[in-house]
Amino acid sequence: MGASRGPRLSGLQKQVLSLYRGFLRAARCKSAEDRRQIESIVSAEFRQNSNQVDRKNFVYIEYLLRRGKKQLEQLQSPNTESLSQTKQS
Amino acid sequence: MLRSSFLRRGYNKVAGVFGRAEAKKQDFPVLEGHPAAQESAEVALESRVTVQDNVKKVMKEFRIYRWNPDRPDSKPFLQSYHVDLSECGPMVLDALQKIKAETDSSLSYRRSCREGICGSCAMNIGGTNTVACLKPIDGDTSKPTIITPLPHMFVIKDLVVDLTNFYQQYKSIEPWLKTNMVPKDGREYGQSPADRKKLDGLYECILCACCTTSCPSYWWNPEEYLGPAALLHAYRWICDSRDELTEERLQALTEDERKLYRCRAIKNCTATCPKGLDPADAIHKMKTKHIWFLSLWKWLKACSSGSNLIQNAT
Repeated sequence: MGASRGPRLSGLQKQVLSLYRGFLRAARCKSAEDRRQIESIVSAEFRQNSNQVDRKNFVYIEYLLRRGKKQLEQLQSPNTESLSQTKQS
Repeated sequence: MLRSSFLRRGYNKVAGVFGRAEAKKQDFPVLEGHPAAQESAEVALESRVTVQDNVKKVMKEFRIYRWNPDRPDSKPFLQSYHVDLSECGPMVLDALQKIKAETDSSLSYRRSCREGICGSCAMNIGGTNTVACLKPIDGDTSKPTIITPLPHMFVIKDLVVDLTNFYQQYKSIEPWLKTNMVPKDGREYGQSPADRKKLDGLYECILCACCTTSCPSYWWNPEEYLGPAALLHAYRWICDSRDELTEERLQALTEDERKLYRCRAIKNCTATCPKGLDPADAIHKMKTKHIWFLSLWKWLKACSSGSNLIQNAT
C-alpha cells in the first residue's frame, strides 16, 4: 500500500474507505458472478483514481465521493442486478 | 397573368445580358409549369438578397460558466462566446442552443419544453435565477451576459447542477391528497370555485428550483430547511379544501424548528420566481395557521384544566 496508510487516516480518507466498503457490502447481496463483476469494476476505479488524482485536490475528491454515493444508492436497491462499464474511446 | 410572365421572361433575357439576374427558372425545376409559384419564388429570392444586404450583424457576448469533471485538475472559468443576435431567437435558451449547435457542442445544460413549463433550464442569468427559455436576451451589446449555474448547488458539469436534495425535500412533504372521506357521488372529490381559487398562485409552481437556490437561509442549511418551493407546495396541500389531514401536515412541518421556521422573510424567492408566484406569502400564511393552531390548542387545554381546578377547589 502507499505511504498514506499510516496509523492516522484523515477524514476524507475514511470517507473514501467507507464508500469502498459500502460497495463491497452491496456486492455481497448480488449473485456470485455479478459480485465478481462489481468487485473488479469498483476496485479498478478506486485504484485508478487513487493513482491519478492528487491527494490535495479536495474539490475533485469530494465530487467523486458524491458521485460514488449516488451510484452506491442505486446499486443497493434490490432491483439492480449488476454493474457494467463501457470504455471511452 | 400570362402576359406579365411573358414580359418578365423578356425582361430577364435582357437583364441577363448585363449579367445581373441569375437564371431564376433554373433554380426551381420543381415549379416548371406553375407560373404563379415561380413568380412568388423569384420575388422571395429577390427580397432575401435585399434583407441580407440591409441586416447588420448584432454581436452579443455571452460569458458562460464551464467546468469539466473529466479534467480533475481544471478549475471552473467563464468562457466567452459571441452570438449574432440577428440570426438567433429572442430567449437566452435560443442563444445557448445556437452556441451548442454551431460553436461549442461540449456546453452542457438541461432543457426540455422551451416554453417555461418544465423548469429544466433554470440557471443564473445576469445575477438572477430564472428559466432560460423565458428570459429575453438583453439587447445591450456593450455588456456581456454572464450565465452561471444555480448558486450554492453542487455542479455536475457546466450549467447542470445536482438537484436530488431538492427533489427529496419535495417528496418529504407528501404532495398528494390525503382524505378519509368517500367522494360524494362515488367518483370525484368536489370543490367549490371559491375553494379552487385559493389554489391559484400555488399549483403553478414548476419546481424549477430558482426560488430555493436564491434563498440565503437555504444556502446555509440545505439539509434542514425545506426551502420556498417545497413549502409553497406544502401550503398548496394544507389550504386545499379536499385534503383532510391539515393538522397532521402542519404538525409534521413544525415538529422541529428547522423545516419551516428557518425562513427569515428575506423574500428573494418572490423576487426571482420566473412564474411570478409568491412563496414568501405562502410561508407567512402557513406560519400564521400554525400559530393559530397552537393558540387554539392552548385555549382548549386552558379550558379543560380550568374546569379541573374549580372541581379541586370545591
